[in-house]
Amino acid sequence: MILKTKQLSKSFGGLKAINKVDFELPKNEIRGIIGPNGSGKSTFFNLVSGIYDSDPGSYIEFDGHDITFAPPHEIASYGLSRTFQLLRLYQDMTVIDNVMSGYHTRVPYKFFDAVIGRKKIWDQERAIKEEMMELLSFVGLADYAELNASELSGGQRRLLVLARAIAMKPKLLMLDEPAAGLSPVNVDNLMKIIMQLKEKYGLTLIIIEHILKVVMDTCNSVTVFDHGQKIAEGTPAQVKDDNAVIEAYLGKKMDDEEMRKALAV
Amino acid sequence: MEKFKSIIRDYPFIAFIIAFIILAFVPSVVFTDVYQSHLATLIFVNIVVAAGLNIVKGYCGQVTVGHVGLFAVGSYTAGTLFLYLGLGFWATLPIAIIVTAFFGVAMGIPSFRLEGPYLALATLGGGEAIRLFIENGNFFRSTFGISDIPTPSLMGYNFDSPDRYYFISMTIMIIAVYFSFSILRSGVGRAFMSIREDPICAAAAGINVKKYKILAFILSAMFAGAAGAVYAHMPPGYIHPNNYTVIEMVTFLAMVVLGGLGHIWGGIIGAIVITIVYDLTRPLYKYQLLIFGLTIVLTILFMPKGLGGFIDRYFLEKRFKKKTGTEKTT
Repeated sequence: MILKTKQLSKSFGGLKAINKVDFELPKNEIRGIIGPNGSGKSTFFNLVSGIYDSDPGSYIEFDGHDITFAPPHEIASYGLSRTFQLLRLYQDMTVIDNVMSGYHTRVPYKFFDAVIGRKKIWDQERAIKEEMMELLSFVGLADYAELNASELSGGQRRLLVLARAIAMKPKLLMLDEPAAGLSPVNVDNLMKIIMQLKEKYGLTLIIIEHILKVVMDTCNSVTVFDHGQKIAEGTPAQVKDDNAVIEAYLGKKMDDEEMRKALAV
Repeated sequence: MEKFKSIIRDYPFIAFIIAFIILAFVPSVVFTDVYQSHLATLIFVNIVVAAGLNIVKGYCGQVTVGHVGLFAVGSYTAGTLFLYLGLGFWATLPIAIIVTAFFGVAMGIPSFRLEGPYLALATLGGGEAIRLFIENGNFFRSTFGISDIPTPSLMGYNFDSPDRYYFISMTIMIIAVYFSFSILRSGVGRAFMSIREDPICAAAAGINVKKYKILAFILSAMFAGAAGAVYAHMPPGYIHPNNYTVIEMVTFLAMVVLGGLGHIWGGIIGAIVITIVYDLTRPLYKYQLLIFGLTIVLTILFMPKGLGGFIDRYFLEKRFKKKTGTEKTT
């Protein structure tokens, strides 16, 4: 198990955004997370990556480390990387700087070497830049490396965010709606790149996605959230036919008696 | 030429040594009177402050308006150490840098919880508090100021006139700019920039936001402390609380903004331009604040990346054209 949560809860005032979620994820799996808007998917990501503090009684374990109370940068240093729904691109930095900033946890030299500016620093910086250029050309952004990130198109921004998250060579990559707002052709292209990256780096993936086709096609297993609770889990085929899932998305299935009562009121 | 370029790339300090040698010949070749050396020293002091301010404001994105307070701490540490212990420049400079670094920590702690204009207000209060503390404390000679701070001497040679002191301030400036250059070009500079752009995403990428914020404040405070000590020992060796008011802060800000926030050479370009303009407009002293205020506003409106960004853009477009053979329209 690379990621494990027990009784994970988070409430905002009276609203229970995440309510006692037990979640387990084996290595090398691609897990899809689906659920209606406001069902707690993104909150779950924020709790795991340490952006929010979880409520008392929760327990989160990542790759053998207890990360329940760990700050985000510590969690990242264990090898957990994530993207954001709203991208959070570094707009005023060049594309290559964006990707290289994702490399932070792997930077090999110490601060004082950098102050003195020894030769080995510049050598290592160049090696990092080369590696990151390779990554950029893999996702197809190498030509734009020197431009500001704000000058990229929507689809290119999604690719850049993906490259930035990969740069730290994570063990677990959590993608929050990687394909939101893309045209169907671009979605296929993006998913192809994600799968290639997974093979290349041996990643475990969690993907939040609203495009059900993507989830059904690529994920080994799917977890469904509704009202902060985990309502179903299993293979895509199992989840598709689960009554609770259909209820969450389409409403309750009623028999004739119930329907008559509901219409009478 | 290619070989020379690659040597500079591996050992950037060689470029700084060349700059040092060129600047060393400037007084004897270019300058016609002593006043120009004095002006050059002021430019160098301002470059050191602006390079430090660029770290915390331009790179790390923390809007601090109390930097002049740190500059005052540097000056007054040097001044009081001379006044009570009779220490000379070579002892007061490192002590001033260390003491100012501690004040930098105090100035940086509010940045954990405040951001943008609120942090600006908090640091403004901090900077003014330091000045008022000095102005009202007999220990610091209050409004009399500290006078006759001696100029440094090295191996029997005394740097006791502006054209000699030029070499001290120039050396300190070169060293400071070299440090800021190598810090900002490394991963540390990148971490600062990511905090400026998006602290939450930076944290998720493994950057310890609090640590780097404080680091930025400490580094820039050390620059301000060094500049303050150099300023205090500058002939005629007189410091007064009125040299550390909000007006000075505005000129420091104007330097960084005009040069280009988050541009390595930005603060330096800005410091040169603003100090010379400040000197030329001395007869119009009533309107100086207006001029610098307008400079900041107009730069932010029409040239948000400052002169440095302008130059960068020019070279980028040139390279882009060379590579692709097309004109870029944006």
